[in-house]
Amino acid sequence: MSTTRHHINRQRRRRDRETRSAAVDASPERAGGRTRAGGTAVLPAPRASSAARTAGPAAARTAGPAAARTAGPAAGPVARDGGRRERKTGRTAGLAVLCALTLLLGGFAGWARAQAEALRAEPARGNTALTDVARTSEIKGQTAKAVGLLFSYDHTEPDALGKAAKDLLTGKAVGQHAALLADVRKRADERKAVITTTVTESAVERIDGDRARVLVYADQSSVATAGAESSTGGGAKGEDGADARDEGVYAGAVLAVDVVHRDGRWLVSGIDTFGR
Amino acid sequence: MKRAVRVLAGARPRPLPALALVLTLVAGGFAAWTGQDWYRAAHDDRAAYAAQRDAALAAGEQAVQNLNTLDHRDLDRGLDLWESSTAGELHDQLASGRDEFAEQVKAAKTVTTARVLSGAVTELDDRAGRARVLVALRVTVRASDGAKTDKDSRMLGELTRTGGRWKLSALGQAPVGGTPAG
Repeated sequence: MSTTRHHINRQRRRRDRETRSAAVDASPERAGGRTRAGGTAVLPAPRASSAARTAGPAAARTAGPAAARTAGPAAGPVARDGGRRERKTGRTAGLAVLCALTLLLGGFAGWARAQAEALRAEPARGNTALTDVARTSEIKGQTAKAVGLLFSYDHTEPDALGKAAKDLLTGKAVGQHAALLADVRKRADERKAVITTTVTESAVERIDGDRARVLVYADQSSVATAGAESSTGGGAKGEDGADARDEGVYAGAVLAVDVVHRDGRWLVSGIDTFGR
Repeated sequence: MKRAVRVLAGARPRPLPALALVLTLVAGGFAAWTGQDWYRAAHDDRAAYAAQRDAALAAGEQAVQNLNTLDHRDLDRGLDLWESSTAGELHDQLASGRDEFAEQVKAAKTVTTARVLSGAVTELDDRAGRARVLVALRVTVRASDGAKTDKDSRMLGELTRTGGRWKLSALGQAPVGGTPAG
């Protein structure tokens, strides 16, 4: 900061020297006006300097640029040279330090960012099953409900299954579900059976944003109601259900269900029965 | 005009150091931000929990598979593996029943192999070192006459962390026809 002021002062002084004669001519009007108003103040020096200052612009307009242009280069180098060179080397060193610091900090920032990214990219973190408690239980609850509805069938309400499929399935799960249930449905209609599926255990394997995979253990009970003499309960996917009698047959099933988050709900997008 | 002169004369040597200073400050800001971000990423509780979850699941799946694998021609190795995969009560049970069980398998001459279909952790207590897992298995039993049977097993396992390693402390089949839970 001092250098600027220094420089300016020097310029001003130079200008003053050159315009003093002009200032002498210019000052009486203004200074006179002021003494007339103030009455007592007869302080020549401030008045002269203030006159010079007010006269400055006028003078500078005429003499200033010319003086600066002519006197500057001539007087400047001689007077400034020594101190300026010192200052210049100091400034260069400062600049170098700043540049080095910038590079260092920038480098660290880049490296830290890469480290953080690498840590975040770890597969364990990408999977928020259990770490996101709310989401995990939400997925478990909705999947259990969906599986219960999708794999239950009551021959008296054949439309309920279609409605559940329409509401809860999406993507390739639609076809998978239809293929899994087609046969079961036919048999249940023949035997006037009610198939009820209840999820007994489930665990979220993986949550990756709006996709998740849930491992489901489900019980399927099949009860053949009334009528038909050959009322046998057909286990939906149970191995030993076909020949069982009335009472209801339980069969355990394992499913892995893929779900996607759509419009605030988790829809089934894939059903894996592990080749059964 | 005087102002213009002052600005012209005074500002000329300034821009470079000022720019350098601004750049340094910006770089410093970035460094502080990314450094903090990195620190947070490295000391993320969730990440540590997720790592424990994955470790427990990997150990659980392996242990369940081990316990469903046994070759009558190589009983000792198989049963050693059983014991090294387990801890606590389950370990004690296996150890105490080992000889008797070995006799049975020798007599039956069966070879049992298992493949994990899928597994997931249901509960994890990171601090206490306890976890509960579901592991679905396909167990293949080959009898002495060469007949092969496949069966899916729905296992429920409990794991305990001992000495930094997860080991199976309880294992059972998920009951069928029981009371629904969840």
